[in-house]
Amino acid sequence: MKKLIAGAILLGASSMAFAQPGCGVGAMIWKGQSGIAPHVLAATTNGTFGNQTFGMTTGTLGCQTNASVQSMAMYMDSNIDKVARDMSRGSGENIDTLAVLLGVDEADRGDFRKVLQDNFATIFPSSDTTSGEAVDAIVALLEKNESLSKYVAA
Amino acid sequence: MGYSLRIGPALLWLALTVSGHANSASGGSPPYLDPAWLTLGHYHPDTLGDSYTSQADDPAFFLSENGKQSPRAELEATLSAIQKPGGGDEHARCLYPARTAWLQKRFNLSLPAIDCPEYQEWKDTLSTETVTLVFAASYLNSPSSMFGHTFLRLDPPQDDEETNLLLASTISYAADAAAHDSEILFAYKGIFGGYPGITTIQPYYEKIRLYSDIEHRDLWEYTLNLNQEEVDLMLAHAWEIRDRNFDYYFFDENCAYRLLALIDVARPDADLLSEVSTHAIPSDTVRWVVDKDLVSTINYRPSAATSVAYSLSSLPDSQQTLAAAVANGYVAANADELQQLSARERAHVLDATYDYVRYQSEAEGWPRDIAAPLSHELLRERSSIDNVGSPEAPPKPAIRDDQGHDTFRLSLAGGQLDHREFTQITLRPAYHDVLDPPAGYRSGAQLQFLRLDARYYTDNDELQLEQLTGVEIRSLSPRNQFFSPLSWQVGFGGRRADTGTKRVLTPYLEGGAGGSWRVGPQTQLFALATADLEIDDDLRRGYDAAPGADIGLLHQNSQFSLMAGARTKAWIVSSQHRQDQAYIKANWHIGRKFSLFTEFTREDHYDRYQSTWQAGLHAYF
Repeated sequence: MKKLIAGAILLGASSMAFAQPGCGVGAMIWKGQSGIAPHVLAATTNGTFGNQTFGMTTGTLGCQTNASVQSMAMYMDSNIDKVARDMSRGSGENIDTLAVLLGVDEADRGDFRKVLQDNFATIFPSSDTTSGEAVDAIVALLEKNESLSKYVAA
Repeated sequence: MGYSLRIGPALLWLALTVSGHANSASGGSPPYLDPAWLTLGHYHPDTLGDSYTSQADDPAFFLSENGKQSPRAELEATLSAIQKPGGGDEHARCLYPARTAWLQKRFNLSLPAIDCPEYQEWKDTLSTETVTLVFAASYLNSPSSMFGHTFLRLDPPQDDEETNLLLASTISYAADAAAHDSEILFAYKGIFGGYPGITTIQPYYEKIRLYSDIEHRDLWEYTLNLNQEEVDLMLAHAWEIRDRNFDYYFFDENCAYRLLALIDVARPDADLLSEVSTHAIPSDTVRWVVDKDLVSTINYRPSAATSVAYSLSSLPDSQQTLAAAVANGYVAANADELQQLSARERAHVLDATYDYVRYQSEAEGWPRDIAAPLSHELLRERSSIDNVGSPEAPPKPAIRDDQGHDTFRLSLAGGQLDHREFTQITLRPAYHDVLDPPAGYRSGAQLQFLRLDARYYTDNDELQLEQLTGVEIRSLSPRNQFFSPLSWQVGFGGRRADTGTKRVLTPYLEGGAGGSWRVGPQTQLFALATADLEIDDDLRRGYDAAPGADIGLLHQNSQFSLMAGARTKAWIVSSQHRQDQAYIKANWHIGRKFSLFTEFTREDHYDRYQSTWQAGLHAYF
């Protein structure tokens, strides 16, 4: 499983440079990025692909060193609208992928899905929420949860 | 095919020039002509002469200076390089792990263990247990997609229940087209060369995003039954060609072709490349892979467009109207009309509406300041409904894309043109027209290439080229309250044109656009405005142009397909005669190999009526 996560990071970012390893997703930069954070909803792409930017906002995550959280942040960045959709429904392959990236055990998956669905409005307070803000909110929610906090511990 | 023709002289040559590797295990063909070695070097017999040339267009792929032209020199160079002492990432054994494995086995070499940290890390990262061939079906509005696309997914071990295939890596081979090249330039360079082909590795979720969400193409996943040793060999070869340039050509050296080579490396017995003659259409290559028993399981992943069309169609009519009203902003996501529904119904309406808004944002470019707040409202409402699962996925089509008719068509027919009898033969190398058996193809879609129709008139023993179609594309996509696609057509070639006194072969260009509406589950009505241009010195002013219209009905089912309608063209430059036609065409499908067809056209042109009919047989192979 660890290998797979590493794979997701390394291969998902074949053109990505790790500028300052160890200090969070905010430090990972796509080569040639323009620095615009993707908005969660209706971030239209108009058919062009491969030039999307990776611009996490730095929040609590600025120095989040948990590799799983970084993987989740990367995944959210390119799949944010689908992740939001699955969260609103409390099920779907994209929410399951987040669970895989965070290493959430099968036994805790139900709680994980429920926490994310019930707190949808907290994670995405507006249609201008960026993926970085959503990741921060998820981490904060999971930290407060007794059975799920261990998956986001730094 | 090519091999069998060339191997004879090559063997003879070899017998005369004593092999430097007479210790090879099999006394038969020399090792450098072993199909496995030729595959590893991407060597193909030259059209002229007895030698071989590699399709790799990158000097760095070869260890020998003559490597591109000489499988023998390359084999010798590789053999000596892998036996050199030392190690590290730059050692030949690390750069060419697949060649090393094959040579080691072929010559019983015992090589000392060696570390290849980069290759090892790459392999560990990919952590591949099985390989899945993924076929992205065609989609209508881009000619360059119509042949489909294939790539490989590297699946990690599945015993780990946490494994999620969205995170698996994919290998694909594609033209490295500059983003600013237009569709036309892309087509030109694709056909005549000009693009380097590159191998890329990306996570599957990015592929899904591209094909399923942006291009609206359904994906078919064919998991191959390769064992671990074969998978490792395939990966080793992928490593060898990973940054190497191969020129890209649409028809033969394309995405599908290069993947076939990778599968051949993994399992030489499959010999998939020998199936390729003049072109490798991805859907055909999938057929070969299925026919060679290389597939263990097949999975269907509907595109975002297929899914949203299905969720909308599975809502009762009143809820469809409600969904349309919410999507268009007439009704709020939390309005009473929605609150009155049961939790389950409300969830389904919200889900379908959100998917629709998202689809429209991608496909139709709905402005973000409308789509984003609406999407957010829909999702927030939806998140308050617990214990209702995601919408049901669209059912897997009964007939897969690879189970449709073969794309090469040969037809033989007899008929009459204004009481002159003729026999007609038609060759169509690719791909599909709306009257062909529809199973496995998009309904209402047509793409024909290089079709040739020749007629032999029996009354005066005359053989005539009736029509040569360069390209003919037609896309009839029904409109409804949610989707409003444009139906369109475009074509060029040479055809017989009536000048009033004779029929002359004239270069032509035609196009059209309009709408189509469903009038039954398998029937659509279409209306297109058309434009025709003909250029020929037999025309009074050297060319003629005609605005026109085409209105018809198309019915497609697995037993027969039928199209009937009326066409009118007003020739305005040279002849100034209107050409009106009523037509009916029908095909009866006999399995996926044959169709019986008949056509009848009644035409009024130059103030005279004439009829054409023909009937015959299409064979697909």
